[in-house]
Amino acid sequence: MAALAPRIHEVPDDLLAAIDYCYEQGWTDGLPVVPPAVDRVNALLAADSRAPQTVIARHPATGLELTLHAAAVNAVMAGCLPEYLPVLVAALEAMDRPDFNFHGSTASTGGSAPLLIVSGPYADEIGMNGDVNLFGPGNRPNATIGRAVRLILRNVFQMLPGISDKSTQGNPGKYSFCIAERARGNPWPLLCQAQGYGNGVSSVTVFAGGGFCNVENHGGNTPEQILGSVADAMANYGCITLGQSVVILAPEHMHIIAGAGWTREQAQDFLFSHARRSVEGMKEVGKYREREYDRQHGEGAHARAEAGFVHRGLAPDDILITMGGGDAGGHSCFIPSWSRGRGSIMQHAAIRT
Amino acid sequence: MQLYSPLSTPPKRQAVRAPALADLKGTRIGILENGKLNAEEMLSEVAALFVERHGCTVRMMSSKSNASAPAPANMLVALAQDVDFLITGLGD
Repeated sequence: MAALAPRIHEVPDDLLAAIDYCYEQGWTDGLPVVPPAVDRVNALLAADSRAPQTVIARHPATGLELTLHAAAVNAVMAGCLPEYLPVLVAALEAMDRPDFNFHGSTASTGGSAPLLIVSGPYADEIGMNGDVNLFGPGNRPNATIGRAVRLILRNVFQMLPGISDKSTQGNPGKYSFCIAERARGNPWPLLCQAQGYGNGVSSVTVFAGGGFCNVENHGGNTPEQILGSVADAMANYGCITLGQSVVILAPEHMHIIAGAGWTREQAQDFLFSHARRSVEGMKEVGKYREREYDRQHGEGAHARAEAGFVHRGLAPDDILITMGGGDAGGHSCFIPSWSRGRGSIMQHAAIRT
Repeated sequence: MQLYSPLSTPPKRQAVRAPALADLKGTRIGILENGKLNAEEMLSEVAALFVERHGCTVRMMSSKSNASAPAPANMLVALAQDVDFLITGLGD
């Protein structure tokens, strides 16, 4: 059965009153939104050649559907420009895959937020930031694409705080959590290349991020010292699980690691081997679970999972590593995945332009 | 000014509830646990009450590999063929 035609609300020609009207309808994330005027939505829809009623994602439990049209309405409200729509659509297509489990990661007490990492030339084309103040405010596409994802979760999929979104504490990324991978000076293949997309094809990676952990190291001068401090952050008792990880290396840290000839794969191996806790230690804090240990150490498990220890993740490629941030400062970050286990697996999709 | 609604406009879906059991006596129970820390223990305790009070029998225990994702359809089909009702719930 086809979806119903989008509903139109008639409001007075008064922009401030229209902003208040959006508040009254419960359509906002707490911040003012751009009223989704019909002509502005239609201008956004022109950025995608498909029919507005094309379904790009479905809620697995309620059956609520996200159409291209609804994506554009929420994108306008978030402050997006038409050229941002392909990134938003690709992100939602990736989130729609069952393994990402966006219902679970949004509804859970865990309080994660979908982190979007945009890789490739399209990030520069639309003016995204992969540089200084990477996760901070000030860049329109970073801020508004991430915000549009949140508004879609709220308005289209009805993941409402306190009702269907039961985050115990949430996290600031639930307003917006979107960055570009820094291409300038990046010594490693970009994520879109490592993911196997063709020349000139950009991608967006989505990850249910459970927070943000700054990794400060201004004294280390070797890959082992820098990655050792990252591994320690990954294995802290509060964070360690079998879940996946995202590590964004500051350029200063990246130059130490890649300058010593280390590849992304070597860094992943090092982090997987070192981000671990002993079984005794896990028992002391009450977090040890035999069946999780068995999963990591059982038949066919990765050889680097050392007996008597619980590592973060199941294998080195559970750790996404790339570069981002400004030139100055020994500040990298680790972002843990949501869930105590493997509740959400990161996904990526090509950006169709 | 005309504003589009940002909400989903879903087609009307037909959803029906399973009919209530006429009598619990002698019925067969399935347990679907979600892998949380105490789920199996809690659900088994609940099932034991049905066994004690209504003469039910516990026929199947199934485990979801992911607590927060819907149970796979084939798991539900298999359960439905062998039990009269299912006990499930969180067990943190």
